[in-house]
Amino acid sequence: MPVAELNRKSEIANQKSEVVVSVRGLTKVFKDFWNRPKARAVDNVDFEVRQGEVFGLLGPNGSGKSTTVKLMLGLLYPTKGHIEVFGHSPRHVPTKSRIGYLPEESYLYRYLNSRETLEFFGNLFHLPRGERDNRTEQLLEMVGLGNVQTRVVGEFSKGMQRRIGLAQALINDPDLVILDEPTSGLDPIGCREMKDLILALARRGKTVILSSHLLADVEDVCDRVVIYYGGKIQAMGALKELLARPDTLRITTPVLPRETLERVLEIIRRDAAADHVRVDNPMQNLESYFLDVVQRARQAAAETSGAISGARVAAYLRAGIQEQPPAAEKILERLALPETAPPAAPPQPVSPAASAVNEQKLETLTKAAAPAISPVKPVAAGEEPADLSKADEKLSSLLGGKE
Amino acid sequence: MQKILAICWLTWKAAFRFRLFLVIAVLLLAAVVGLPLVLQDDGTARGFTQILITYTLSVITALLGLSTLWLSCGTLARDIEECQIQVVATKPVGRWQIWLGKWLGIVSLNAGLLVLSGACVYGLLQWRATRLPAGEQEVLRTQVLVARGVAQPPDISATIDELTDQQLQERLKQTQISGADLVQARRQIREQVKALFQLAPPSYYHEWQIDLGFARNFLHGKPLQLRVKFNTAQINQSGTFVGLWQVGVPGTANVWRSEPMSLSPDAYHEFAIPADLFDSQGVLTINFLNVNNTTLLFPLEDGMEVLYPEGGFTLNFVRGLGIIFCWMALLAAIGLASASFLSFPVAAFFSLALLVVVFSSGTLAYAVESGTVTGVNEETGTTGYSIADHVLIPFFKGILAVVNPVRNFSPIDSLSTGRAISWSELGAAFGQIVLLFGGGVSLIGIALFARRELATAQGNQ
Repeated sequence: MPVAELNRKSEIANQKSEVVVSVRGLTKVFKDFWNRPKARAVDNVDFEVRQGEVFGLLGPNGSGKSTTVKLMLGLLYPTKGHIEVFGHSPRHVPTKSRIGYLPEESYLYRYLNSRETLEFFGNLFHLPRGERDNRTEQLLEMVGLGNVQTRVVGEFSKGMQRRIGLAQALINDPDLVILDEPTSGLDPIGCREMKDLILALARRGKTVILSSHLLADVEDVCDRVVIYYGGKIQAMGALKELLARPDTLRITTPVLPRETLERVLEIIRRDAAADHVRVDNPMQNLESYFLDVVQRARQAAAETSGAISGARVAAYLRAGIQEQPPAAEKILERLALPETAPPAAPPQPVSPAASAVNEQKLETLTKAAAPAISPVKPVAAGEEPADLSKADEKLSSLLGGKE
Repeated sequence: MQKILAICWLTWKAAFRFRLFLVIAVLLLAAVVGLPLVLQDDGTARGFTQILITYTLSVITALLGLSTLWLSCGTLARDIEECQIQVVATKPVGRWQIWLGKWLGIVSLNAGLLVLSGACVYGLLQWRATRLPAGEQEVLRTQVLVARGVAQPPDISATIDELTDQQLQERLKQTQISGADLVQARRQIREQVKALFQLAPPSYYHEWQIDLGFARNFLHGKPLQLRVKFNTAQINQSGTFVGLWQVGVPGTANVWRSEPMSLSPDAYHEFAIPADLFDSQGVLTINFLNVNNTTLLFPLEDGMEVLYPEGGFTLNFVRGLGIIFCWMALLAAIGLASASFLSFPVAAFFSLALLVVVFSSGTLAYAVESGTVTGVNEETGTTGYSIADHVLIPFFKGILAVVNPVRNFSPIDSLSTGRAISWSELGAAFGQIVLLFGGGVSLIGIALFARRELATAQGNQ
């Protein structure tokens, strides 16, 4: 199906679906003690978020993303403009039972352990005891804190605090999930799991609003984004529209024999200038590589005292959807289900800027390839994963993690 | 209710995890058990009670009061400053439920601590009582560890005011007085009129008629106690004054006369009188013959009281603790209300300042009575009525109108003197302190909290 057709279907689906959040002319001015304007954090912002969308608020630090989120949650009051969430004011208490919120920092009670934390928030949603216990159990398993549920949150690492924060945001099976810097403080595994979870929620027709300055996160999961700068919206639209380059094409194939590749290039060169055609080995991105390394280590049964990788998405959050398909299937699924707002495709292997084709390189490429990446030796059972931790730190800093 | 209880449970959890409960409990136990053990009483039942009840309950009230203010300011203000409230407020729980849950948490915490320390005081009291001499134990059993009702002479303030105004009008016909002098003159005349009802001149009788009211129905056959106090302008060598008492129905044989009694001024004296000396209407007539050369003055407020048995000490003690609990509930509301719009240190300071105002209500009352805050001008001998007086005196009156009804309940004094604290008094305390004032403060606090933007603070965990 042509992309334009898909887009058109998606737009129609969007127009039909319920408006979950409506923001019109929103302005927030912070004032000082004498009521003099101090900072215009949000300036005349308009947007709508529809049911089933993964909507990204993107922008540098201090651009107004978090302020917008807090205005949507009724934690701040607009100076001007209007916000509606599910057709009500953000301060409408019953509406809050449909919202889950993960703040940008761990704003949880340090003296409660993870189980007590979830039970406390479950009580605020008036969940009956059985249901509360059931969800608490599933969420703790999902975020990988099942084995540390009696440790108080104050003793947790930042990543573990993010995980319990995420669990509390989902205790009510919300229709709208608002995630403020959701991957902040998470290791790459946690980031991946967070993104998988967002996509799983979207498949269930949940609406997700995420605020982030990490472009990769937004790109991986969002259908539509707004880009903030200086409190104003600088750009807004569907990611595929904003990022697509309609004047170029990429073909990915298995390694081909030299003759075949030469024939293909010959055909292509009839229509495109030689310096516009590039051939190289696609590279997997660092996140995929890292996850592969950790997967091998895990299979070697290395122990950790921290959070373990989360289990499957909690059963009550999966209700109504099939087991999460692998990445390639997700793309197909989204293409085949345009009536809900289609989630963005999962990350594709990144093609770095390749050099133009030359004979020598062609020779290299057409050799039946030994893998470009040497296999990683698994960590022996019982071995302290010290090296892995160092790799974790390095990769976290490379990926923009704040741990 | 589940949501309110969840917030309430959170307060308990915080108190235990931060060992606050433990610290306060240890402090209270050290104060109410440890210190009285090392303090020596004078061997009398009254001295013994003075130390145990007055001292321990005062310490409990002070310690719990301060911790209540501190905790109530902290529990809300710190949640706001450390941003946890941002997660709680995005759940389907009203701001009023958050506020009420926190109040309930602090109040229930106080109830727990009060029961714990109250039980210790009660146990200690019973144990130490067994170590008093036999005679003192009898006094303790009949006069102190009891709950006695109080009957007083009727309130004659209206009569005094009426007589004061009459005399003032007569004085005004003779001389021109205005402004500050008029106020001063009226005050002096009132004191003179009041003295007529208080004085027992040498060789004269002073008579009181006290209506026992409904209590007369169950006082037949039961001896009563008189509690008297007088002042005098002169001190004699012995330091005591002799008087004769006659109690009974005038003109009948149903009269009891005392032996000459030697009594010291400025102190309360209690002595028993025989049963059934009141008339059919329940009115007890008491006469005092002053056989000294000095005029004695029995204050209208507490110069003469009739005490009659009304109930047991245990329930009385519980009701006394109940009134202290009402004070704590009000303090919790004040702390939370100030934390609803102020940061933690400022809220704590504000609440403590309010407490100081309550304790200094005597000074305020004096200023209101004087009609000025600037005092007497020593050079001119007049009181200066300035703009400050016009602003502050009504303001002080307002404060006193709020403070006095709360301060008027004095469970510690009642318990140490064996006076009954009735259920109706406890009910009145609950109504006035908790519902009226606590409710008013709570409404203000909830309104402020509901209007407050909760995400202006940056987390500082």
